[in-house]
Amino acid sequence: MRNILAIARKELSIYFTTPWAYVVFTAMIALSSFFFLGFIQSFVEAQELARTYGWEQLPPDYASYRNLTDGVVIQLWGVVMIITLFVAPFLSMRLFAEEKRNKTFELLMTAPLRPVEIVLGKYLGGLGVMSATLGLTIVFPLVLSVYGSSQSGTAVEWSTVLLGYGGLLLWGATCLAIGMFISSLTESQMLAAFITFAVLLPWWLLGSVLQKAEEPLRSILNHLSFGAQLQGMTQGVFELKALVFFLSVIFLSVLLTHRTVEAQRWA
Amino acid sequence: MPMIEVKNLTKRYRERIAVDDLSFTVNEGEILGFLGPNGAGKSTTMKVLTGFLPPSSGTAQVGGFDVFEAPMEVKRRIGYLPETPPLYPEMTVRGYLKFVARIKAIAGKQLAGEVDRVAAATGVTHVMDRVIQNLSKGYRQRVGIAQALLGSPPLLILDEPTEGLDPTQRAEIRALVKGLAGKHTVILSTHILHEVALTCQKVLIINQGKRVAFDEIDQLAKAHSPSEQPASLEEIFIKLTAAA
Repeated sequence: MRNILAIARKELSIYFTTPWAYVVFTAMIALSSFFFLGFIQSFVEAQELARTYGWEQLPPDYASYRNLTDGVVIQLWGVVMIITLFVAPFLSMRLFAEEKRNKTFELLMTAPLRPVEIVLGKYLGGLGVMSATLGLTIVFPLVLSVYGSSQSGTAVEWSTVLLGYGGLLLWGATCLAIGMFISSLTESQMLAAFITFAVLLPWWLLGSVLQKAEEPLRSILNHLSFGAQLQGMTQGVFELKALVFFLSVIFLSVLLTHRTVEAQRWA
Repeated sequence: MPMIEVKNLTKRYRERIAVDDLSFTVNEGEILGFLGPNGAGKSTTMKVLTGFLPPSSGTAQVGGFDVFEAPMEVKRRIGYLPETPPLYPEMTVRGYLKFVARIKAIAGKQLAGEVDRVAAATGVTHVMDRVIQNLSKGYRQRVGIAQALLGSPPLLILDEPTEGLDPTQRAEIRALVKGLAGKHTVILSTHILHEVALTCQKVLIINQGKRVAFDEIDQLAKAHSPSEQPASLEEIFIKLTAAA
């Protein structure tokens, strides 16, 4: 455990001394603010329309604009998930590729560390930065709860918001685990980032891309698709199935990374 | 008891043979000079000894533990400076040495003291708070050596420790390595033969992965001298490695 923490601590200190963490933070905040303002604006417009004509007169898809949670936060979480898909490869790419390029991998492998400690330490360090990145976005529902108002109690429904946020963290952890495995396969950080992205994006879109596929293939693909699995969570519906799905993907990726590191001993 | 026992060690990279049926032993407290032309298999041998690479066949033992069967026991006993010092360019020297001390399981209370001790021994005390990527090559090399000394491991494996240093720094490192004799066992690879003559009692010369000489320096000098005058290490080296 002590070794795992030592490695995680080193990973964090390197993340915060190189520009990557800050670039990712900035991208996350800038992009999500942009979308946040957009959603607020549509929300206000919808509310005004409703005040003039009444909710009954508006098309049914306006129903989500009845409250800030559904009208703004849930939509924002959907966007943050897409942003995460784009920034996660930049956080995960260096985990192993950089050590191999720098020849510091040799230091880790000749220190009295077990491969599992190296892998878990690195994953934990990466999770720290990932949580920090996603943690920035919690500011948006906070802003809403301070400045927003609602006829029924609090402006945002925190249980829904936080469940969605939990789904977000789970998604970030999944991207990171896959990225870490890919990083362990190469010495090139750019290649690791690119391949990670090339794996995550189609996997996310699996369901919608293959809409034309026949049954039962279609539903199988739909079950495997990240996007489809995440849908419920973002809307504040807890799904054990999705939780198990993502935890399995994380576990498998960490296991494969461990195998790759262990394979060094047999090369 | 021998600190290192290598028996019939062979390392193949696909069809290329890097180390070919190499055997040698190093006793506790000895300093062994490890010589050979570039590409002779010195670094590969060292990587096998540290458990970084597995042997293709044959065995290597450190302190009585097989490098492949009991890697943790072996790794605990070794301080290793690879060919390229394994440094994190973004970290400060202090941060780096502390990290290495932690993964070498040096207890929290002794950690700061141990870091200061190795820093003083390698002369990096005044650059402790500088970022490694801003250091000169000589200082980076010294930080690499400092890292290997952390925790006073009984066996030190130094792959070209004086590479990139100026003559004064080389003399300092030589003195440092010489001071380790007795307490530590040291394997030292280098191109600079004069250095070996000054620091080591024994030499192992390999060429194309094969052992061509393994003896005390003066014994070698006697064996290879055609006349009364004992041969210099350089003459012996050239003679033995020219055969290819």
